[in-house]
Amino acid sequence: MGAEPIPCLILACGNTLREDDGIGPRLAEWAAEHWRSDVRIRILSRQQWTPDLASDIAAAQSVLFLDCSIESNPGCAAVHPVHPATARSGLNTHHFGAPELLSLSRDLYGAMPRTALLLTVGAASLEFHEGLSATVQAALPRAIDLLKSAVCDLLSNTGATSQSHSA
Amino acid sequence: MTQTITIDPVTRLEGHGKVTIQLDEQGNVTDAHFHVTQVRGFERFCEGRPFYEMPSLMARICGICPVSHLVASAKACEAIMSIRIPHTAAQLRRMLNLAQMVQSHALSFFHLSSPDLLLGLDSDPAHRHIFGVAAARPELGRAGIGLRRFGQHIIELLGNKRIHPGWVIPGGVTEPLAPAKRDEILALLPEAYSNIQIALNWYKQIADTFQSEIEVFANFPSLFMGLINEDESVEFTDGALRVIDAKGAIIEDGVTATRFTEIIGEAVEPYSYTKFAYYKPLGYPQGSYRVGPLARLNIAQSMGTPLADIELKQFKQLALGPLQSSFHYHHARLIDILYGIEKIEQILSDPLILDKHVRATAGVNRLEGAGQAEAPRGTLMHNYKVDENGLITWANLVIATGQNNNAMNRGVLQAAQHYIQNGKFTEGILNRVEAVVRTFDPCLSCSSHAFGQMPLHIELLASTGDLLDTVSR
Repeated sequence: MGAEPIPCLILACGNTLREDDGIGPRLAEWAAEHWRSDVRIRILSRQQWTPDLASDIAAAQSVLFLDCSIESNPGCAAVHPVHPATARSGLNTHHFGAPELLSLSRDLYGAMPRTALLLTVGAASLEFHEGLSATVQAALPRAIDLLKSAVCDLLSNTGATSQSHSA
Repeated sequence: MTQTITIDPVTRLEGHGKVTIQLDEQGNVTDAHFHVTQVRGFERFCEGRPFYEMPSLMARICGICPVSHLVASAKACEAIMSIRIPHTAAQLRRMLNLAQMVQSHALSFFHLSSPDLLLGLDSDPAHRHIFGVAAARPELGRAGIGLRRFGQHIIELLGNKRIHPGWVIPGGVTEPLAPAKRDEILALLPEAYSNIQIALNWYKQIADTFQSEIEVFANFPSLFMGLINEDESVEFTDGALRVIDAKGAIIEDGVTATRFTEIIGEAVEPYSYTKFAYYKPLGYPQGSYRVGPLARLNIAQSMGTPLADIELKQFKQLALGPLQSSFHYHHARLIDILYGIEKIEQILSDPLILDKHVRATAGVNRLEGAGQAEAPRGTLMHNYKVDENGLITWANLVIATGQNNNAMNRGVLQAAQHYIQNGKFTEGILNRVEAVVRTFDPCLSCSSHAFGQMPLHIELLASTGDLLDTVSR
């Protein structure tokens, strides 16, 4: 864990070879370019979330998870608050969701971000294919608006001072 | 009526496998198998590709130990090129391979096996996972995550990616080590030392409580094999093969990659897509042997680093001669990690480590080449043939998990026969059977390879479970 807490951690998950599953990394790529000089924001993109990320989360004042959803309507972008998982049965080492990561961060490091949000976009197709489906591609501008708005809210909640390069 | 117990999938492994246990009419175990149920086919689809593509192609086999494939593959290519790589390049590769070993062993010990070791093999499976470890002993969970990050961070610094890094190529590495990266790695060392000491101290305190498992977790005489230096210290990237028998006598020594096919053969069984390697002079299955952390420590006289040497001395005092129980893989894995951290520090103090000469070049000078290296879970060999244009015409990979395959199957049978009596078993007993497999830390995605014509046996079952027809190839 770093000595200085990061005001905002953006943590994306997804496989860019499985069509809409790549929406998380795609948004993270956009965020990395958009906030490339903003030291308040750290962006990590992974094919899958693993327990090792608990230490990054514990070192953040706020976190925004980015993922696709198979439960939402295709192309539907939404932001939800996330809370630590309480039910721990049925877990395995191959999949950790945002709530599980938060609880692991709390149990291992005694620290958790003050605010945690999850931005999801409903998947239309998860076939073997690079690029997004037309439905999710069309939803990208809305998802980016939500991403900008969520990061803005998280930064203001943490009281982090604004950076000249942030948009 | 006979009965089959199926454990599918075996949990907390790298990849997907299952265990079947056959019971007789009295409910006692007659046979048991560990099945690897996935097939890959890397040897086939690389045919026709230029040999210099092989390291990056082959590294895609696995997300856990791609570096070992990079290294073994590059060495096979260098045998085709007939070149010797610069000293600095060899040292940098060694560091990368050790970093991978540390992170992979940390995954195996902390994420996959520590729930059994800390919470107990009979504990509630709903809590027997990394979350349970985090709640019960957070310092252990932090140590595991810390060691994973240590290894992954070094891999990312050197290879620019945490998983499937490039950088290692036939002839050496693509770029030298920058001073800033060296300093960054040096700064990681104190925390890594602290984390492995936490784990070693804890493991040595609890190991005795598993005496009954030590007795039946693949505890039998076998051969052991691994890479070793001329001074009989452990080696992960160069060195030559040594094989010892169950009493510790050296039966092969100094076997270089060009000669490994003289002593290693491969067999296939109809129930698994993983091959079964064996020591040729003894034939199959009598020549089955074990590789990996336990084998490395059994064949070596020293680790070659001060702290790990102290641990090796204590480890060897646990038995007269080679340790035979695969339960000791856990302990050996931790000593490997300590060695890896120390060795990385040694490599960084090499006065030539920042040297700019890190790559040799050549074309095709031989039509066949082989390379070997130690992967976290044991010795790995890549063997290629090329045409005059350097295009791959044949490839074979001998994977650590395949070399442990017979011992894993014997271990599963041994544990099943010990624990399952009169058809009675509990979840904790089945978990023990799985835990035998976990001691080897098999990497199933790496190990699934065709060799010749794989035997195929299909059974057609009715909805009642009655056998309607069988087809065999």
